[in-house]
Amino acid sequence: MMSASLDETVGETVGETVGETASFDPFELQDTVTGDIRDPYPRMADLRRQSAVHFGNIDFTGSDDPEPSLVSEVPVPVSVFGHDEVVSVLRDDRTYSSTVYEGIMGVVMGPTILQMDAPRHKVQRALVSPAFRSRILERWETELVRSVVDDLIDAFAARGRADLVRELNFGFPVQVIARILGLPMVDYPKFQEWTIGLISVASNWDRAMAASEELRVYLTAVIEQRRRQPADDLISDLVVAEIEGERLSDEDILAFLRLLLPAGVETTYRATGNLLFGLLQHPEQLEALRNDRALFPQAFEESLRWEPPVTVILRKTLKDAVLGGVPIPANSDVGLFLGAANRDDRRYADPDTFDMFRQAQQHVGFGFGVHMCLGMHLARMEARVAVNAILDRLDDIRFDPDADDDPHIHGMAFRSPTSLPVCFSPR
Amino acid sequence: MVQDRLPDERIAVLSLQILIDRDKCMGSGNCVFWAPGIFDLGDDGISVVLDPAEGEERQMFLAQEGCPTRAISLWRDGVEVTSP
Repeated sequence: MMSASLDETVGETVGETVGETASFDPFELQDTVTGDIRDPYPRMADLRRQSAVHFGNIDFTGSDDPEPSLVSEVPVPVSVFGHDEVVSVLRDDRTYSSTVYEGIMGVVMGPTILQMDAPRHKVQRALVSPAFRSRILERWETELVRSVVDDLIDAFAARGRADLVRELNFGFPVQVIARILGLPMVDYPKFQEWTIGLISVASNWDRAMAASEELRVYLTAVIEQRRRQPADDLISDLVVAEIEGERLSDEDILAFLRLLLPAGVETTYRATGNLLFGLLQHPEQLEALRNDRALFPQAFEESLRWEPPVTVILRKTLKDAVLGGVPIPANSDVGLFLGAANRDDRRYADPDTFDMFRQAQQHVGFGFGVHMCLGMHLARMEARVAVNAILDRLDDIRFDPDADDDPHIHGMAFRSPTSLPVCFSPR
Repeated sequence: MVQDRLPDERIAVLSLQILIDRDKCMGSGNCVFWAPGIFDLGDDGISVVLDPAEGEERQMFLAQEGCPTRAISLWRDGVEVTSP
């Protein structure tokens, strides 16, 4: 896929001095997968009331499509909309395999834990998970995450208005990941550009594959360097990680690091946007949080229930199965609609409303089962630091009434706000 | 594990016994998030029960329900119980 000349070019990027930060427009990520769908939830709710499980492709854009089938004896795409049914699938990894991702994300990122089943998954996950425990993450919070957020806010604080999607939400998790990996600051713009390339995979395959290859060359050099000279960063932790004699190969580490970009950047950027959107849309909840920061966990968990950044994940049946009373043949691709499960009215009262004061309940915004989001504690910490900084520094923040765009959450597989134009009292 | 020598107002909590299946526990830390005074992760990354007297039943049920691998079970009088 890669030409020799491109290989040579990217071989020189380590330590190269680069200019301005690559600009990012979230509309670059809009595509056939994400889709410009404003509200898929009414249709999902209709389908779920008929049955938690449907067969065949479902088009959420048109209203005239025939209703998807409720039975199939051959493998066709399966869609699951019910909360309990989604949880059942995610808890039964012997029947519902993650290898379905081999042909999707695996092609771009290499063999990551995302696409592994037991027993390999358990070993690999155990090797990388210590670095993501909340107690370990504390070391990043003050010096690293808060300082990244403050730098980004500095750039617009005096202006009195900003679009938080473009000016804060994306740049901040990219820089956090770059710093956790211990990359030199001079490489950040390049790293950000590769990140955008990699997560644009659904809309621009060639760009994603090129970014993946450039990252391979760049990160391989960093891994080799850390093997020789460990430092206080994540790559050094992974290089020395060992459990019962098992260690991570360079290929394992490389795949994992590439996975971190979509998993650690895109999700956090979207989730932070959805939380801010919910709060700005409900100023009384924003005010309550401003006055009592201890409410942050319930506010963020509610936003993840209400608008999870990743709304669909996939599994494949390894054998014939029965789900919610519905038989599913072996070798079926199964789409789990996390967003629909999180709004299942059999479980959540008034499910379409963002209400951080509702009684705490589990949700599947981070997935569930053995593949449950490895970075959930990092995401919770990052979002908390960002929102606290906004509340500390931008008084009287609200949607900008003079902005001419119409901010709204949109997308299908991934959802987040188109923009977050805000105004506030500059200090 | 739960002890039975604590003040009366904690009887409701302490009548619940918490069991952690160490083979099932994947160290997600979700129990620590939902019930921070009740659970922690040990040095080996496996969940351990702290001082359940500090907790509330509601948090214990949240932790049980939130365990991604069903490693936490709650028992009352020898019978396994789930969130009411």
